[in-house]
Amino acid sequence: MTGYSPRADIPVRVSAFAADATSSCAIVCGTNFVRCRCRYRPRRRDPRGLLSKAGTVTAKHRRKFDTQSIWIVVAAFNEAAVIGPIVSDLLRPGYHVVVVDDGSDDATGQIALSVGATVVTHPVNLGQGAALQTGIRFALQQDASYVVTFDADGQHRPSDIARLVDALVDHHAAYALGSRFLGSSRGMPLRRRLMLQAAVWLTRVMTGLRLSDTHNGLRAMTREGASRISLRQNRMAHASELLEQIAASGLPHIEVPVTIDYTRYSLAKGQRLRDSLTILFDLSAQKLHR
Amino acid sequence: MIAQIGLSILLGGVLVYAWTEYRRAPIISVLSILAATAGLYFVWLPNHATRLATLVGIGRGVDLIIYVWVVISLILLLNLHLKLRLQAERITILMREIALADARKAEPNK
Repeated sequence: MTGYSPRADIPVRVSAFAADATSSCAIVCGTNFVRCRCRYRPRRRDPRGLLSKAGTVTAKHRRKFDTQSIWIVVAAFNEAAVIGPIVSDLLRPGYHVVVVDDGSDDATGQIALSVGATVVTHPVNLGQGAALQTGIRFALQQDASYVVTFDADGQHRPSDIARLVDALVDHHAAYALGSRFLGSSRGMPLRRRLMLQAAVWLTRVMTGLRLSDTHNGLRAMTREGASRISLRQNRMAHASELLEQIAASGLPHIEVPVTIDYTRYSLAKGQRLRDSLTILFDLSAQKLHR
Repeated sequence: MIAQIGLSILLGGVLVYAWTEYRRAPIISVLSILAATAGLYFVWLPNHATRLATLVGIGRGVDLIIYVWVVISLILLLNLHLKLRLQAERITILMREIALADARKAEPNK
C-alpha cells in the first residue's frame, strides 16, 4: 500500500502495518529506493549522534531492548583470518554470539571460542543457508527474544544491529532487513551492483516483496519471526528462500538503512555470476519436489 | 511385434515408477506419465507417429519415438537429482542435530 510522509506531497511506500509510522518513514520507505525522495531519511552515519568513535552504542542511547535478549548468528566457513575481531566487536555491546562453524578446515571455531562466542560446529561443510538455520535454531533454544544474522566476512557494522532491533520494536515488525541501498556501501563494484539489482527485480517477481536490497546478510527478527523460518536451501539460494518465507508468513517486515564495507577479503568471498545461475537452478528445483 | 512388446513393458515400468513418485514430486510424475503414455501410443500406432512427425518437421515416426525416449530419460535424470537433494536435506537435518547437541560455550572468565 502507499502511505504518506509528513510532507504530504511526497508519497512514500510503507508496509501496511507501518502506515501510521510516518515520523520515521525513512526506515520503511525503502521499498523503492530509487524513487524515494523522502526528506526524513536519517543521516547515513550515526543518525542520532549516539555512537562512540569506536562505533559502539554509548550509554546515551536509550535502548528499547535488552542486549542480553539478542543472539547474533554468524555463519562461518574458513574465516580464521577475520572471525576473532568480528566476534569481539559483537560481544562488546553485550550481545550473545553464536558462531556456526560450517565444517571449516582452519581454526575458525577455536578462534571464535577463544574470544568468547558460543560455537556450534557442523561435522562437514553444508553451506551458509544450513549454517544460518542451525544458528537460528540454537538461538531459539536459548530463549532469544531477537535473532540477528551477521556475515562473517567483516562487511557489516555491529553498530547497525541496534538500529535493526530498534526498528523491530518501533514498528512492531517481525523482520528488519538491512539495506545497503537505503544506507550506504563503500567500494561496491559495478558488476556486484548490477547483480544485486537483478536479484531485487527477481525477488519482486517471485515473492511480491518490494525490497531495495534482497541479498543483505544483516537481518534481525523477533522470536516469532525466527520460528517461522525453516531454510531448506543449504547454499546461496537461502537468501531468496528466506524472503519467500517472510512473504508467506504474512508477518510485517521493514527495511533499515545499513552500511556495507566492501574489502578485498569480502569481495573474494562474495557471489559471482555463476553463483547467481546456481541460485536460480536451486530455487527452481525446490519447487519441483516436496 | 516383439519390439513393440518390449518397448511397452519398459514404458509400462516408467508409468508405474512415475505413479509411485507422485507424492514426492508431482510435477515430475505427471511429466513422466505424459511422456510414457505418448510413447505407448506411438509404439502401437506408428502410422500416427509418422504423420505427427511429418507435421512437426521431424521426418520419420521412429525418430519421434526416440525423441520421446530422450525426454523420458531427461525427466528421470531430473528426478534423480531431486532425490539426491532430498537425501542432502536429510543429511543436513542429521548434521544439525549433531552440531546442536555438541555446542561449545566459552568459559565465563574468558
